[in-house]
Amino acid sequence: MPDLAAKGPELTDRTRLALLLAPALLLLGGLFLAGLGLTLLRSFRYMPALGLTEPDLAAYVAILTTPDFLKSLALSLWIAGASTILAASLAIGAALLLRQTFPGRAVVSFLVQLNLTVPHIVGAIGILYLVSQSGSFARLAHAAGLIATPAEFPVLTHDPYAIGIILLYVWKELPFITLILLANLQTLGEDHEAVARSLGASRWQAFRHVLLPMILPGLAASSALVFAFAFGAYEVPLVLGQHAPKALPVLAWQAWTDTDLATRPEAMAMAIVIAVVGLALLALVARGLIAGDRDAP
Amino acid sequence: MFRSLAALLLLSTAALADTADGDALKAMTWDEVVEQARGGTVNWFMWGGADNINSYVSDYVAGRLKADYDITLNRVPITDAAEIVNLILSEKEAGVTDAGTVDLIWINGENFRSMKQGDLAFCGYTGLLPNDALVNWDNPAIANDFGVPVDGCEVPWNTVQFAFAHDTAAVAEPPADMAGLIAWIKANPGRFTYPAPPDFTGSAFLRHVFIHAAGGPDSLLGPFDQAKFDKTAAKTWAILNEIEPFLWREGATYPTTVTQLNELFANGEVAFTFNYDPAQFGLAVDAGTYAETTRSFGLADGTIGNTNYTLIPFNSPNKAAAMVVQNLLLSGEAQLEKAKTEVWGAAPAIEIGRTTPEVQDGFAAIKTHPSVIPAAELAKAALPELQADWLTAIEKGWAENVGN
Amino acid sequence: MRPDRLRLLAALALASFLILPLLPLAIWSFAHGWRFPDLLPQVWSLKAWSYALGPRSGVLQSLGVTTGIALATTILAALVGIPAGRALGQYRFRGKGLVTLLLLAPAFLPGIAVVFGLHGIFLRLGLVGTVPGVILAHLIPVLPYMVLVMAAVFSRLDPDFEAQARCLGATAWQTFRNVTLPAILPGLMTAALFAFLVSWSQYLLTLAIGGGRVQTLPLLLFGFSSAGRNDITGAIALLYILPGLLVILLTARQITGRGAALAIGLRP
Repeated sequence: MPDLAAKGPELTDRTRLALLLAPALLLLGGLFLAGLGLTLLRSFRYMPALGLTEPDLAAYVAILTTPDFLKSLALSLWIAGASTILAASLAIGAALLLRQTFPGRAVVSFLVQLNLTVPHIVGAIGILYLVSQSGSFARLAHAAGLIATPAEFPVLTHDPYAIGIILLYVWKELPFITLILLANLQTLGEDHEAVARSLGASRWQAFRHVLLPMILPGLAASSALVFAFAFGAYEVPLVLGQHAPKALPVLAWQAWTDTDLATRPEAMAMAIVIAVVGLALLALVARGLIAGDRDAP
Repeated sequence: MFRSLAALLLLSTAALADTADGDALKAMTWDEVVEQARGGTVNWFMWGGADNINSYVSDYVAGRLKADYDITLNRVPITDAAEIVNLILSEKEAGVTDAGTVDLIWINGENFRSMKQGDLAFCGYTGLLPNDALVNWDNPAIANDFGVPVDGCEVPWNTVQFAFAHDTAAVAEPPADMAGLIAWIKANPGRFTYPAPPDFTGSAFLRHVFIHAAGGPDSLLGPFDQAKFDKTAAKTWAILNEIEPFLWREGATYPTTVTQLNELFANGEVAFTFNYDPAQFGLAVDAGTYAETTRSFGLADGTIGNTNYTLIPFNSPNKAAAMVVQNLLLSGEAQLEKAKTEVWGAAPAIEIGRTTPEVQDGFAAIKTHPSVIPAAELAKAALPELQADWLTAIEKGWAENVGN
Repeated sequence: MRPDRLRLLAALALASFLILPLLPLAIWSFAHGWRFPDLLPQVWSLKAWSYALGPRSGVLQSLGVTTGIALATTILAALVGIPAGRALGQYRFRGKGLVTLLLLAPAFLPGIAVVFGLHGIFLRLGLVGTVPGVILAHLIPVLPYMVLVMAAVFSRLDPDFEAQARCLGATAWQTFRNVTLPAILPGLMTAALFAFLVSWSQYLLTLAIGGGRVQTLPLLLFGFSSAGRNDITGAIALLYILPGLLVILLTARQITGRGAALAIGLRP
């Protein structure tokens, strides 16, 4: 606690520090930790208002023994994993491309930045209109004589492999990772690469052994953020997902809004599972940060 | 000290025209209620997906409320009424008993049952509304909402009856009854599907199949009966599993919402769509969503009809103003306005014969949209709505036996 | 030159990929019906736009609410995030790692993980269904970006400048106003842009905490989309991306500037 008596013209560093950090910590503690804490309590079916005062694990047992939940968890992990890998690999290519000069570079740069500002739900509806079986691409295929009816067009939305959802995340997160990589590359400058090339390294070798290690921390951190988002977003699978299995956030929301109060703890337990995945990512990133700091000269 | 503070608080809330105390309102005359309601605001939570219904509420209803009663109507667009029932339930659980978020909600069926079961509705006041006299409460389809007695907890707004739509350019002669539809589905692979429950409309389609499997609705009326359910359910799942390979995408997946089905229909991917409110077909044609050649039809073995209502939650702080809104919605003029084809085309929830001659003439002059089957024609073969417990059981059984 | 052509081709592919999903939305907003297999609508119409921009649809009102919430969230986040960023950027102290992780955590935990519990708390506080409640909820995902970018900015700021100003007799406020603020302003603008966009795009937190009463644009957009009114959906979608477009146009600088602050922020 800050010592208020010490608050004078010259604050001690400790007091100063406490005062600087207090608002953010109080706000985040009061909102984020309290929200998470209450979710956790209720996932243990601790709800005194309903006469439940004996915490138990029944909600976790209930969700872990239903195939619906496990399928949804697997689906969400697949969506997040596939989206992250695709977005990250394409972003490396896009960043390397945008580092060079070519006609129209300004336009592409502008689009990359614009895309960052487009909300996910807008993109999701756009993807739906574009690649559904009666969407713009299907119509082009029809005009080209490739298909006669919508049913002949590949199933890309509301599909079992969540292709539409993954496509949306790649579309939306590619620019995000690209901008972070570009920033990394900018601070590095051209020198390292040029030195490597002059020493006889091939393009690939220069990339693999010089560039990649340098952009790796930014790539890892931004990929982890993308993974967390794609794993936990609600509105995207709502627009583009199929009826079963549902993405985990959709399943959790449905359990929470069920008018049967008994399903609430299960919704809370699903939310905690989602939180645990997020925390695991955070732990990975934190380890990377610490390791990175240790390696830093 | 505390008591005087509390009294002061009560006074100040009264000055803000807070009418959360329903019992006090019930003891008043209608004129007193209207006096309490003046200057109030009503937050009306309603499905917001149709621009002309929105316009009817925001222009006509809100305009009249402002002019006649100085009441501000705040139309709150929602996509799913269940979410709002859940909100009110959470409020009750959190002890919010007189400062609720919701003053009025457009509702029926399972959501009404949940509101009533959870004691979340303001009840027993509807007789106070002068226009309540226009409602035929002797009609069981009005006095019961999906088999649950209304008991003065909600006020009817529209009556609807389930109908199918087809594009005459694609299917000239639609099937005449459920058996015919099932045969059509098998003869035309990939051209039919239905939304997966808990979608409201998909669930209604399932009940038609369920009633067909039972050989008619008679044995299914009344409270839920497990033995009867099991018998009919087995037949229903057999029918639905039998047609599954002939459905859109071979039944591997189902549309999640009726909107998705409508989209499939609009683009010719499937041959039929259906809706509880046939007026929606006319609205969709006018919006350009469906082809002009769209027509709608009922089934010879009947389609399910029901009533939808407006309800005031127990914790609404603006009950008096909400009651005035409900009374206005019931008036012959307001019911006539929304019955007009170009406004909405909604069938009235009041007895037209009890309205003024001008209003009766107005109703007589309405020409139904060519794409909408006239309510009178549809009503020739009508089925009653099953009670809400049947609904839940059918939806759950479908997820386990068909949609897995 | 072959590599040049390859580069151009890749750039073209990237540009098309980025712009394509927005095209059908734009076309829909001017369509009166647009059914398979028509490549373009047969009948064009301004109906959707006149409804969306009309007084009764509530779209413009919603645009105002969404902007107001995003601005308020950004300002609050800056007020709280600048001091915290300063602490993390300029001080070494015990438990710094833990504090950093705590402040970073909400960026990794999806909103749905906290929103159910938050709803329970906000109900008791009377914050559900209110604009202040939604702003507070938006602070959760917004603060990490603000704090981390500001920490990066302060870590590159020389504290001696401030000390010199104080020695020359400037008050704490004058020092901040004339020395610190100009130095952190570019970074602050980037952080503010991110904060604004994160709040601007929120769907779930607004849906749950707003209780339907706080109608931001994404809620309205989803309402019309889920009712199958693709024309009105298209018009609202374009209105919804317009402010972002304006911001990017107005602040068009070096492409990497924005990413730089964030990238450094991500690696405190």
